[in-house]
Amino acid sequence: MKYALYPGCSMESTARDYKLSTLAVAEALGMNLKEVPNWTCCGSTPVHFASELLATALSARNLAAAEQLGRDVVVCCASCYSRLAMANHAMRENEYLRAEVAGIIGQEYSGGVRVRHFLEVIYRDIGVGEIGAVVINRLEKLKVACYYGCLLTRPKSLSIAEDNEDPDIMEEILRAVGVSPVEWPYKTECCGASFSITRVESAMRLSAGILQMARDSGANCIAVACPLCQSNLDLRQSDIEMMTGESFRLPVLYFTQILGIAFGLPKDKLGLNCLVVEPDNLLAGQTVCKSRAVR
Amino acid sequence: MNSLAPIGTVDKQLLAKLDSDGRMNLTACLQCARCSSGCTMRHEMDNLPHQLNRMVLLGLEEEVVASKAVWVCVSCQTCFARCPMGVNTAAMIDRLRAMAKNAPDRDLERVRIFNRLFLTLVRHLGRVYEMGLMVMYKVSTGDVLRDLDKMPMMLRKRKIALLPKIGCMRRAVSRIFSEACRRSKP
Repeated sequence: MKYALYPGCSMESTARDYKLSTLAVAEALGMNLKEVPNWTCCGSTPVHFASELLATALSARNLAAAEQLGRDVVVCCASCYSRLAMANHAMRENEYLRAEVAGIIGQEYSGGVRVRHFLEVIYRDIGVGEIGAVVINRLEKLKVACYYGCLLTRPKSLSIAEDNEDPDIMEEILRAVGVSPVEWPYKTECCGASFSITRVESAMRLSAGILQMARDSGANCIAVACPLCQSNLDLRQSDIEMMTGESFRLPVLYFTQILGIAFGLPKDKLGLNCLVVEPDNLLAGQTVCKSRAVR
Repeated sequence: MNSLAPIGTVDKQLLAKLDSDGRMNLTACLQCARCSSGCTMRHEMDNLPHQLNRMVLLGLEEEVVASKAVWVCVSCQTCFARCPMGVNTAAMIDRLRAMAKNAPDRDLERVRIFNRLFLTLVRHLGRVYEMGLMVMYKVSTGDVLRDLDKMPMMLRKRKIALLPKIGCMRRAVSRIFSEACRRSKP
């Protein structure tokens, strides 16, 4: 199965491990991911305070580049997914915007590609049966709080799951590798996003609530599908522990890292050493291959 | 949906500035406050989302643009997702923020500074350069010390790249910015 991959800026830096594990897992599942040639930033959240025109144009440039590949565009970052999908929708629906954007980016694009999140692609195109067939380590000790954050399920029209208040595709995927997902009510709460830089206390209050709820629901780790969610819950976890006086020590892994461990992929191919709250205790007893070649 | 709008009380001027083609459905608001009860940042807002909507319909431009809430919004989209009338309050707040020249106080000004620096980097490099963004943000806000202690660990784990990866498309992106700005001007 062939896809175009739009990695986005975070995947080249703070979420390096998300990109590594995405590529490794895709290969193990027989997916062919080709990077969108010369991709550029989607503008993320800051761009929608600028103008809708600029926001749409930045994404449309990338979508037009992807169209040349003739493949669905796979996105891993929740914010990039939201931006690209929203721009794609606008380019299909809004004739005026389409004409304006064509003038700005210097090429015609009319919303021809499909923008999809990696979670949804694995769930629908690969399927849980196929995932189960590749598993080498069943991760039965993992009690995972699957955390989706904001932009994978909102707005409703772009939600990767049918039930946008209680999505379950990450749970279904991880169940296929032996994980027990916990029932918890904070799947789509907000972690504070970029407020972790500009309004640190607000972001920490929001992320603290998520960590507390995950722990109280019996989770021993959190699975995420967004670079910013990961960073807010993992990198800030020690600050949050200081603020609340509680100890969490909850590893926050990308769902792709969990899949990779279950597939027996080597640790360095999954970027597990990038995690700040180290998952060593969690994974003790679960075989993590150190040198096995990627299948 | 628009037939439910309290037409007599709607000030069309501000509405036209925010949503000229009616895609945000702002006049359909029933004031049920479902947006506000689910709002992530409601604890820190002066006016709640449904109140911002009413202020817009009443044409209280100066007041609504000066609201702290406009900057406190974290863009989580919960208001829009839960609105029974399909009112896109999240998009309305985006536009209000674009209209405001300054944030109402120094604390909230950081949000504006961050957004501006983010876009400046994208404009000139084509992609976000996280390390550059952090340094520029710290210099601009004077908040130099915070999180400095995390830097050695982040560099060791290669969680943040020291140098930017500059794509060959940065000229194209810069042109998109100039062209979009030119066309956005009223």
